[in-house]
Amino acid sequence: MVIGRIKIRVPSVIKKGEVVPVMALVTHPMETGLRKTKDGKVVPAYFINDVDVFYGNDRITHCDWTYAISANPFISFYLKADKAAPLKIVYKDNKGGVYQQSVQINPR
Amino acid sequence: MRRCFFLKKMVLMLAMGALAAGTGRGAFAAPASVSGIQEYKQNISTQEYEKRYNAVYGKFTGQMAEQGNPADFMLDDGKDLFKKVEGTTGKSCASCHGENGEKLKGVAAGYPKYDPAIKGINTMALQINRCRKENMGAPELKYESYDQLALELYVKSLSNGVPIKVSIDGPARPFYEAGKAYYYMRQGQLNMSCAICHVKYAGHMIRANLLSNNRHHADHWPGYRLKWGKTGSLQKRFRGCNKKVRAKPLPFQCDTYRDLELYLTYQANGLPVAVPGFRM
Repeated sequence: MVIGRIKIRVPSVIKKGEVVPVMALVTHPMETGLRKTKDGKVVPAYFINDVDVFYGNDRITHCDWTYAISANPFISFYLKADKAAPLKIVYKDNKGGVYQQSVQINPR
Repeated sequence: MRRCFFLKKMVLMLAMGALAAGTGRGAFAAPASVSGIQEYKQNISTQEYEKRYNAVYGKFTGQMAEQGNPADFMLDDGKDLFKKVEGTTGKSCASCHGENGEKLKGVAAGYPKYDPAIKGINTMALQINRCRKENMGAPELKYESYDQLALELYVKSLSNGVPIKVSIDGPARPFYEAGKAYYYMRQGQLNMSCAICHVKYAGHMIRANLLSNNRHHADHWPGYRLKWGKTGSLQKRFRGCNKKVRAKPLPFQCDTYRDLELYLTYQANGLPVAVPGFRM
């Protein structure tokens, strides 16, 4: 499994000023650090702990995550589409990995 | 595989014995009880079951399958694999089946089915491997490996929305009966059969989980399962269920599991194929 593949879903047609749902999925193992292998060794913690969402230049959402989030986390939120700008989601994990992707929002 | 073969033999003998007994009773024998198995009935009504199912799961799994399914990444990889040239003959799947698999549309809805070449039930996973070996000269993919699941997922997704139409007529009938016999066979330290949970007690709670009935079990695999945290096939799920009743799980794509897959897919006849699935 490749870590950090991102899929962002927005409606294909958006009216200006409309409130639209945005859904994003990222592949990540999200190891809690509490799990042990069959040999009794602890699997080190490895999870996304910081999510930023940018719309144009504004940061519109920020999440502080812990190990309690499931593997391959899915987030969904609503966005008021009032300008033509890229929507960028940035995930950072506790080992320094940064994964990001953006989609262009073009309201008509 | 030996155990698998033994089971099959036993089950077939049972079925044949029952057939012989059935003919003696004349024309009044019901066709459903050809193998001599008394089928269970669901303890609660279908409406009550739907009500309980919706109260626990609601539309969650259906929504997630469409909107946030991690198996979608695998589907994209499967599409690339479909076009990848492999093997000694210099062909890819796409060179015979159309660039985007146009010729495979609706094919997966008829699987698993009887194949005279292997004298048994042919599943989609087995067919892909046979096709790779015979027509492409490529090595067979290991079952449940990432590439195998991705390819199977893509080929099945070409039939999305097509109603499942599995035939159990003619030569497939004894294999269907064998699958049914396995479904109703008590096994493991807990001495449970698949049918006790998924036919008789469907809709009741087993600890914190609601038991589902077998109508919707086979239409959405391979799928993502939250408990596994990854994508797997229906036969991986069979193995999981076998382990839960403390029985010995069988190898992937063995005769018994293929018969069982036929039996379960027949229960889902008429429902649209919906892969990749999403399960709790």
